[in-house]
Amino acid sequence: MPKIKIKRTNITTDMTAMCDVAFLLLTFFILTTKFKPNEPVQVDIPASKASIELPKKDIMLLTVDTAGRIFFGVDDQVTREALLSKLAINHNLKITTEMMKKFKNMEQFGVPIEQLPALLELSPEDVSKYRQPGIQVGDVHAKPGRDSVANQLGELVIAGRTINNKIRIAVKGDKDAHFREVEKIIETLRATKTNIFNLITSEKSKAQ
Amino acid sequence: MADMGGGKKGAPRVDMTPMVDLGFLLITFFMLTTTMVTPKTMEIIKPAKPEKEDDRPPVKQSKTLSILLGENDKVYFYTGSDDPKDAAQLKVDSADFSQKGIRSTIQTRQEQVAAQWGNKDELVVLIKAMPTSKYKNMVDILDEMKIDQVKQYALVDLDKIDTVIMQSVHALK
Repeated sequence: MPKIKIKRTNITTDMTAMCDVAFLLLTFFILTTKFKPNEPVQVDIPASKASIELPKKDIMLLTVDTAGRIFFGVDDQVTREALLSKLAINHNLKITTEMMKKFKNMEQFGVPIEQLPALLELSPEDVSKYRQPGIQVGDVHAKPGRDSVANQLGELVIAGRTINNKIRIAVKGDKDAHFREVEKIIETLRATKTNIFNLITSEKSKAQ
Repeated sequence: MADMGGGKKGAPRVDMTPMVDLGFLLITFFMLTTTMVTPKTMEIIKPAKPEKEDDRPPVKQSKTLSILLGENDKVYFYTGSDDPKDAAQLKVDSADFSQKGIRSTIQTRQEQVAAQWGNKDELVVLIKAMPTSKYKNMVDILDEMKIDQVKQYALVDLDKIDTVIMQSVHALK
């Protein structure tokens, strides 16, 4: 009997299509990704059913962590630059161009204004290691520059709003932060005649 | 001319496997690092600071519901008088943030107000947070206002009576 010859061929799948899809997805993810900014504090935000999306720009962020420390940040590099120059004039701070560069990349800070140059002298690694004490709130109703225990948060809020009048204020509080600190922020905002602000929350599912 | 290699002319095949591997590796990386959720926000509009103290318009007690934010995700609520002498008669109840908790309380109160005043939007909810209350609870209760469509609510300071209530609540523990 003649042997039936089985033709052996290498099965080669055409990978081109798969490759196309892979790179398409890759491009999508590369373009949509936005790396998490290096934040000095980790906060676990509460959930709510609020559905308004936070605008992507013109944001002034006030963060409260579990320990009640308050951090301040503005999102735009131009605003940051103007803010630091303004603070430097008001508080007689010596700011070098190097410090300015670092400040432009600093998402948030939580030190009294006088300590800013010292903070900006640190290398980025040291900044992340350094435990910032938080912005000084002091007496909520104190006027900047006039009272002994100045409300630096109020000063920063006013400075930020004068530099960019479209800025929106967002409060990002940790779930376990005490109301005391949040109240301080609210009172400061009211004292600076900022009566509209946003609380940042994560989305809660419908079932809850 | 000699036929070179039998004249088989096919497109040169490139092995795509490593390229696909690399592609998917990068996809995985970007998928894991990307954050898809955009944070949501709750807009708070506070009334402008009155020039004089105690410029607040008086609210009829029968239209109010006071909610105190306590510890361990508990809330205490009552309706009634501002007079510290009445603290003993005042009925204070506790609830939690579940569906059957504060939400049903608010809804019941809305119905009561609607029966008495003709419109459930007459209800004024006074939210009183202790300095040590959790920020989460504040957000929860403000969220609850949205859910139950309470039109008038305010974050107010603690009155004398509220301090008395919270003290007795703590004493009971």
